[in-house]
Amino acid sequence: MKRAFDEMPIDADAEERAWAVVREAYRRREPVAPGSPIRPVFVLAAAAVAAVAAAGLSAPGRAVVNAVRKSIGIEGAQPALFKLPAPGRLLVSGAGGTWVVAADGSTRRLGAYSQASWSPHALFVVASTGNELATIEPATGRVHWQLARPAIGFPRWGGTRADTRIAYLTTDRLHVVAGDGTGDRRLRPSARVAPAWRPGTSRHVLAYVDIRGRLTIMNADRGVATRLSRPYRGVRDIAWSADGRTIALAARDEVVLFDLATGAAHVVRVGGVRVLAFAADGRLALMRGNGVLLVTRGHVRSLFSGPSTLAGLAWSPNGRWLLSSLPAADQWVFVQTRGGHRILAVSHIRRQFGSEPSLDGWAPEA
Amino acid sequence: MVAERRERALVRDAQGGSAEAFEQLFRSHWARAYRAALLVVGDSAAAEDIAQESFLAAVRALDRFDRRRPFGPWLHRIVVNRAIDWARARALRRENFGDGGPEPAAREREPSEHADELALGLAHLHPEQRAVIVLRYLLEYTPGEIARMLDLPRGTVNSRLRRGLDRLQEAVEGERT
Repeated sequence: MKRAFDEMPIDADAEERAWAVVREAYRRREPVAPGSPIRPVFVLAAAAVAAVAAAGLSAPGRAVVNAVRKSIGIEGAQPALFKLPAPGRLLVSGAGGTWVVAADGSTRRLGAYSQASWSPHALFVVASTGNELATIEPATGRVHWQLARPAIGFPRWGGTRADTRIAYLTTDRLHVVAGDGTGDRRLRPSARVAPAWRPGTSRHVLAYVDIRGRLTIMNADRGVATRLSRPYRGVRDIAWSADGRTIALAARDEVVLFDLATGAAHVVRVGGVRVLAFAADGRLALMRGNGVLLVTRGHVRSLFSGPSTLAGLAWSPNGRWLLSSLPAADQWVFVQTRGGHRILAVSHIRRQFGSEPSLDGWAPEA
Repeated sequence: MVAERRERALVRDAQGGSAEAFEQLFRSHWARAYRAALLVVGDSAAAEDIAQESFLAAVRALDRFDRRRPFGPWLHRIVVNRAIDWARARALRRENFGDGGPEPAAREREPSEHADELALGLAHLHPEQRAVIVLRYLLEYTPGEIARMLDLPRGTVNSRLRRGLDRLQEAVEGERT
């Protein structure tokens, strides 16, 4: 067993990436005299500065990062989420259940679900936990229907006001069920990547990643694949642009933007991206490690870098704010991306939601 | 003994501001930290994050570190506890091990069959069982040391080892057949 451990392959690039960050953290630290207490403010500052220095930022990115340095975990973080910085309702889920956060900061717990997403017009929520899928009214918490299937994950709701579908994964399959809970169908084997409904169309067009890592676009009603990409290694996330013309795929070594009209694939050479999120105006946020990059018309720039690993992304409905989470610091970070470069950090997230929740979507007011 | 003395000297120099000493500590511990995290979480990107964050935590706590203690166990404690937390959180979110094995890391060299079998077998265990097996048989700590690292009673460590090994054996035999 020991021999097997020593023979495990190591990603040499990973060591160099980590060393770049750790070296900067070490370089910026301030040795203290033996016996003198460590000031928490300094400790956090060192980590933040390290991440900033390691990020190699563009000028606009640096401006935002400088603000992060001053706010995240250092000073100015609010002790609780008193209100959202933009209109809309935020959906979050975790071990403490699924919650809806209103713009004024008030919260409603919808139940003991671990994943959730909004319906296309944010009138309902679909949530899952273990072997149960449920649709819920966010204003009242009333459950409309439930469905039992093994190991349900990644529920996603798409369609028009009149006719909707919900896609979800079980242990090994992609499923689609109508928005009223009828006609559940077990479709194809799928990778453990959230499927995504194409917006802006009356047809039920679904994108998912098959078990060979190929992006597949299918007509969900007919169960017929209409587009298939080449296989990609280590696919983490896919996302449609709001106009439904572009779909982005985050693979281990790159992000690929597919133009649906022409079939052209534009490759952005950024590896290690874990989360993708399109703003309504077409800007694409990429989250990897401690940082967020912004892709605008093919141009990539750093937006900000935190003092520790980020988790999740959610755009405000008006596209001015981007929310991410710093689980290690038990904080959320709101980054202003238009009309200023403000950073708002909020602490004690676990206390408010019973766990570190995932960011499941920021929807407009109903 | 010589290695221990050398490591103590490196820690002392790193506390005193020697970047070279700190780099030597990082280079000598990175691979084991990364592999330990990878075997517990089964995801190369997450393992990289966990190992990196553990070193950042080490930087933050370096000045408080008692040089009489060895550096490795201190770091491994951080790595394994973070990896267990990550694996538990992932299990909650039902992001299971896909098709039964960890995502392969970019390969510097071809892994042996043993390494593949071990990784696939460990994927069938609970994170807590994976952690004690990694600490006991791969990083070679005693059950008493593991109990202290994970804040567990020694009996719990022993029972997790026993059950984990039984399950690992079944899983590896299943892979072979």
